[in-house]
Amino acid sequence: MTVRAFEYVRADDVGAAVAMVSADPAAQYLAGGTTQVDLMLKDGILEPERVVDITRLPLRGITADDRTLRVGALTTMEELAADPTVAGRLPFVRAALLAGASTQLRNMATIGGNLLQRTRCRYFRDPTVPDCNKRTPSTGCAAITGAGARMHAILGAGETCIALHASDLCVPLVALDTVVRVRGIEGERRIPLTEFYVLPGDRPDIETVLRHGDLVTGIEIPLPPAATRSGYLKVRDRASYEFALVSVAAALTVQGGTVTEARLGLGGVGTIPWRARAAEQILTGAPATVQTYRAAAEAELRDPFTVPGTAFKPELARRTIVRALAELGGGEA
Amino acid sequence: MTMTRPVIVGAGVDRVDGPLKVAGAAPYSSDIDLPGMAHVALVRSTIAAGRVTRLDTGAAEQLPGVLAVLTHHNAPRLATGPATNLGPTPPPPLQDDRVRHHGQYLAVVVAEKPYQASAAARAVTVEYEREEPVLRIEDPAGEVRTDPFGMDSARGDSAGALAAAEVVHEATYVTAENTNNPLGLFATVAQWSGGRLTVHDATQWTSNTCQTLAQMFGVPESAVRVHAKYVGGAFGSGLRVWPHVVLAVMAARTVGRPVKLVLSRPEMFTGVGHRPNTVQSLRLGAARDGRLVAIEHEALQTVAMDDENMEPVASASASAYACPNVTTRDRQRRLNIPCPGSMRAPGEAQANFALESALDELSYLLDMDPLDLRLRNYAEVQPQFGLPWSSKALRECYQVGAERFGWSRRDRRIGAMRDGRWLVGYGVAGVSYLWWQVHCEARATVGRDGTAYVRSAATDIGTGTYTVMRQLSAELLGLELDQVRFDLGDSDMPWSPQAGGSGLTGALGNAVHAACRELIRAFLRTVVNDSASPLRGCTIDDVTVSGGRIHHRADGKLGESFVAILARHGLDELTADGVSDPPDPQEVGLAPAGAFAAKFVEVHVDPELGLLRVPRVVSVVDGGRILNEKLARSQIIGATVGGIGQAILEETVTDPRTGRIANANLGDYLVAVNADIGEIDVTFVGEPDRLTPVGTKGVGEVGLPGTAAAIANAVHHATGKRIRSLPITIDELLD
Repeated sequence: MTVRAFEYVRADDVGAAVAMVSADPAAQYLAGGTTQVDLMLKDGILEPERVVDITRLPLRGITADDRTLRVGALTTMEELAADPTVAGRLPFVRAALLAGASTQLRNMATIGGNLLQRTRCRYFRDPTVPDCNKRTPSTGCAAITGAGARMHAILGAGETCIALHASDLCVPLVALDTVVRVRGIEGERRIPLTEFYVLPGDRPDIETVLRHGDLVTGIEIPLPPAATRSGYLKVRDRASYEFALVSVAAALTVQGGTVTEARLGLGGVGTIPWRARAAEQILTGAPATVQTYRAAAEAELRDPFTVPGTAFKPELARRTIVRALAELGGGEA
Repeated sequence: MTMTRPVIVGAGVDRVDGPLKVAGAAPYSSDIDLPGMAHVALVRSTIAAGRVTRLDTGAAEQLPGVLAVLTHHNAPRLATGPATNLGPTPPPPLQDDRVRHHGQYLAVVVAEKPYQASAAARAVTVEYEREEPVLRIEDPAGEVRTDPFGMDSARGDSAGALAAAEVVHEATYVTAENTNNPLGLFATVAQWSGGRLTVHDATQWTSNTCQTLAQMFGVPESAVRVHAKYVGGAFGSGLRVWPHVVLAVMAARTVGRPVKLVLSRPEMFTGVGHRPNTVQSLRLGAARDGRLVAIEHEALQTVAMDDENMEPVASASASAYACPNVTTRDRQRRLNIPCPGSMRAPGEAQANFALESALDELSYLLDMDPLDLRLRNYAEVQPQFGLPWSSKALRECYQVGAERFGWSRRDRRIGAMRDGRWLVGYGVAGVSYLWWQVHCEARATVGRDGTAYVRSAATDIGTGTYTVMRQLSAELLGLELDQVRFDLGDSDMPWSPQAGGSGLTGALGNAVHAACRELIRAFLRTVVNDSASPLRGCTIDDVTVSGGRIHHRADGKLGESFVAILARHGLDELTADGVSDPPDPQEVGLAPAGAFAAKFVEVHVDPELGLLRVPRVVSVVDGGRILNEKLARSQIIGATVGGIGQAILEETVTDPRTGRIANANLGDYLVAVNADIGEIDVTFVGEPDRLTPVGTKGVGEVGLPGTAAAIANAVHHATGKRIRSLPITIDELLD
């Protein structure tokens, strides 16, 4: 346990909360806390001087119409998993939620928090490791030469950072063109999830397009057509309670043996939740066969960045894509 | 006495400490709170080798609540601890400026509150003079210790036999470093009072902790009392007196108040031992008919810089099979790593993987069923000494196991068995566990209310010692279970060895047996000239006990109760001590046997995605007399789960540049969870061991070894892939 003293404030109003955090560079929001409290109290990575508890804000709940599911940012993972629209229309979102955390965590963790979860990189999370570009820009990346490198990214990664975005939930969400609602000091914005995250580049410390003080208030998930089949396949050594080595969220619409619409997200491989657009392009309009799936997987994994510990991941990712698609679209795996 | 047809012993009695534990009412050392207690936090090294050049504690000392900061500059000089049968005590902390491993304690902060101590520990700044650490087992820069245990063995001419052998298999096997990870964080509460020291600790060995602290702090053993009433698991990590225990005692003496130190999970990875990794080379020579003609087993393992760790690996192969030419060699490479230590089935867990994998490989070279190969080379007598085993039912283990598992349904062709998309493999391994027994003492009392109180300084680390010793005491004194209290976990009680090496139940059971017999003798002595007693003049061989009475063997009516004897003689109670010592094998003409086991495993492999699942493990165990079938079964189940972890999940990852453990938490260090565990079938076979009156053999560890080899063998059967390195993970199984 390593605690630095901080001030705790409970927010009663969205506007006031945003104003308070926006005005104070050392302030942070606190919701479910399932990652943040670890980073503050156990790891000593986050050291806010003021913590603004937003759990009482009216940002919790789920509503749906024919085309969109709207989820408040403070809705818990468990609540979203239990939602009938999610179970009926978005089975791969439900599957990703259930594969993503234990019941205890799902009861605490919020959807907004899940979007903003920090990487599990073992080098980022230990403050005694000096070289971490994500924690302190321009210090280097200890993970690249480190051991036990399986849980690192191979897409969107580079010499500056290979830290993985470990969310399960975000994988189907990014495939679905989910929109993030954000309240900032200057009002509300809607940001597509595909544009929400930022590749590490030269500044791995910058992870999203959010500005300090911006508050995620909810997400909007476009509902896929009724004919769409979706699935979430998560590959890991431990049968449960482990982050993905590779995961695939796929939604396919197949008509007369042809893929008419394909949505594909990848987890366990990207520095951000990975939208597999190159694969989608090959799939769309092509016959629903394993040859097509393999070609799509090859296209998406054309240029991975690997270190010795992740050298096996591109091929594992390709196979997982093929398996996930074959389970939905047939065509003999 | 009554052990020929026991009534209470053997039955699946629920553990007596169960209700307390599930209600949260069992006080572990971390639950002890004393008036005026201060709290301790540790500062650990962030380099693996070098020297501390500057330690600035000024800022920390100014923080609120801070009572003291101890470093090598101001810490008291301590004597070294005693050597035990597990080797020397780890060196005392804060005695010099040298850094030997990442995570080594460099300072101790004592404060009013735990969070104040933590905050102050972070405020201590350390500067180092770095040296290049030696971190890899292959690194020639690390000193190699040859025959570190004096147990290297050679019989016959293994080199000659290998050269002449019709079939030879040779391969290298690698096992990863594992960390014990008991659920309970280790905690020490220490209090000095008028030169006397009281410690509450998570230890497997109160007697040794007492002796070690007395020696290090220069006080008589009689002035030190160590309590360990409940221990939240240990798996070997509580066998030694680790530096944090010493630091808590040092801190309490410095501030003159009781202190509490609770290790964090990351600290549990560097401060309380771990299973050392190994590189093992195996050479097997056989005749075409499957008879082994030679075994050569050489094992290299890691050890810390200034420490020793008793972990014989290769020597386990000397007694496993009937083979005339056997050579075993152990070596240790010194590295800048945290001290390794015992972890459930130390040495055997690594050795068995290599030997039983190699035997499986040989069976394919011979085109022989791997089970038949093991039976072909069955050691009817102890192969090193040529003496008959004191007990051995390994053949029955194989036979019963094969039947329960359905081994005959195994299609010998590789990859021939399927379950949908999954390839199915069957694997087998045998286990010949070592025998280990040492001196132990116990004390038994029967009082005027007719109840008994039996005790020893032993510990119950969750295995069921409280329960089985109460059962045994009740059996031996002819009392009901609820008339007996068995207590332990207090170094003021009669001396006990560690709960380790699968040896405590044997040592303590025999000491309890001796104490109970001595107590009955004491009652008989009391009435030896008592004309009012129907037991007048009886010796222990004339009598037996039941229903709270001592009575003639031949005539149950001819006797009287403990209570009647005490009352008539005006005594409140009678007490007797008992000791047990290991028998001398040569004297009795028997080779003392440990437990034996056969492991049968089914695996499912998805070759495309590299997924490995273990839906079924059948274990058949010869553990001698089983004192409590339910608790013994739990031991085998838990050890099997540990074996599955060793086989497919567990690996402590050390950063190759810095020596930092990169996965020092339970999210990144993978232990098996519920979803990884399928059906675990456990059966006990065999008879009480002939060597001791109680006849147990100890079942705490035998359930773990064999699991990994059987899994690896099953993976080969399923896929044709021979994985010689643990753990077996997805990346190794991708086609």
